[in-house]
Amino acid sequence: MRALPLAYVIALGAGLGLASAHYAVAERPWFGRAQIGAWTTWPKSGARDIDPYMRAYLARGVHLPLGAGEGLELVAEQDEGGRGLDARCRYRVSGATPPARGWSLGITDPAARPLALAVERTSFTDAEIVRGERGEMRIVLATTPEAGNWLPLPAGGRFQIRLRLYDAPISSHAGELRPDALPRIARIDCR
Amino acid sequence: MSVADETGVTPAANRPRPRRWLARLGSGLLRFALLTLAGLLLAGIVHIVTVLRVPLLATRDAAAVYAALGMNGHAELVTPPPAGLPAMLDADPNSVAAVCSYDLAAGPLRVVARTGSLPLGLTVHRRGGGIAYAITDRAAIRGVLEFVLMTQEQLDERLANDEEGETARELRVVSPSPHGLVVARVVVRRAFDRGEAEALATGVACGLAD
Repeated sequence: MRALPLAYVIALGAGLGLASAHYAVAERPWFGRAQIGAWTTWPKSGARDIDPYMRAYLARGVHLPLGAGEGLELVAEQDEGGRGLDARCRYRVSGATPPARGWSLGITDPAARPLALAVERTSFTDAEIVRGERGEMRIVLATTPEAGNWLPLPAGGRFQIRLRLYDAPISSHAGELRPDALPRIARIDCR
Repeated sequence: MSVADETGVTPAANRPRPRRWLARLGSGLLRFALLTLAGLLLAGIVHIVTVLRVPLLATRDAAAVYAALGMNGHAELVTPPPAGLPAMLDADPNSVAAVCSYDLAAGPLRVVARTGSLPLGLTVHRRGGGIAYAITDRAAIRGVLEFVLMTQEQLDERLANDEEGETARELRVVSPSPHGLVVARVVVRRAFDRGEAEALATGVACGLAD
């Protein structure tokens, strides 16, 4: 009869421990993330003192993240109002980017895979966009063509926006970024 | 009339059934709670050990998957990867990357990159995920970015062999693991820059330092 309690403890410990570890590192971990407005980043993902959860996540796939001195990647899954990014809506990404030698802004599916679109345009770099009179950035994400900088969206479904800052001094202390230092993501309207 | 009625004391065997049942339930629940607590403690230990062991047991991380690339002395392009190898996850379509796999058992590795007009970064990715070192072309001297990658033991040996009072004329980088990848990443600022970016990335030389 003593075997039954022992089996219960082992089953609970092993099952819960393995399942929670798998869940914790299956996606980019919650630990070590920094939320800046609509943008999320993991400042330590490219640092030497990376946290164990991020290291385990990186070890589970072919990841080559940007180094802490090399750049910074920010991911947005929601707009500035906290609503999930939906391809049936139009979005305006505008404002400033932190000082960097260059940046790229692109869209992917929720699993970070490239989107298959009829128009071969899933990203812009700082050298490719048309800027306003004051040099500000303004990119419209929509299913149908837009004037200016247009990033086409698929017919429907969720998506992510990825901003990569290259050779940015802020990359080693990204947690100190303020929301107004990053581009705003505003929903224009929805179908 | 029973004995209990006469003395006013109820023997254990004659106690009302619900009270005995409640006592048993109470001790059973306490035992179950203690066992669950032990299970949760064990779960915490299993969780921590698993998370820490994942990088050590990894066989599908970038360093393992691209272990055969760049052994010929020059970085090899992984955007797109050679036939039969998986593509990088989370890759920026506006950058190209080339890798040199290293094994420091044979000795320290010298990495030399020539810079151009496009932003270039070099990173050392250790086996099992994680970056040991990163540098960009801003640190280049006369258009050349160069460092020597070594283990802590190799660094100690090099320091012991340095001439007294003489400054080392090389940038020495310690890799926490003997195996890993040196990654050269170049930003493709415009679509027509891709050819130049690929030439810069694959032009990175990785060879034995001595």
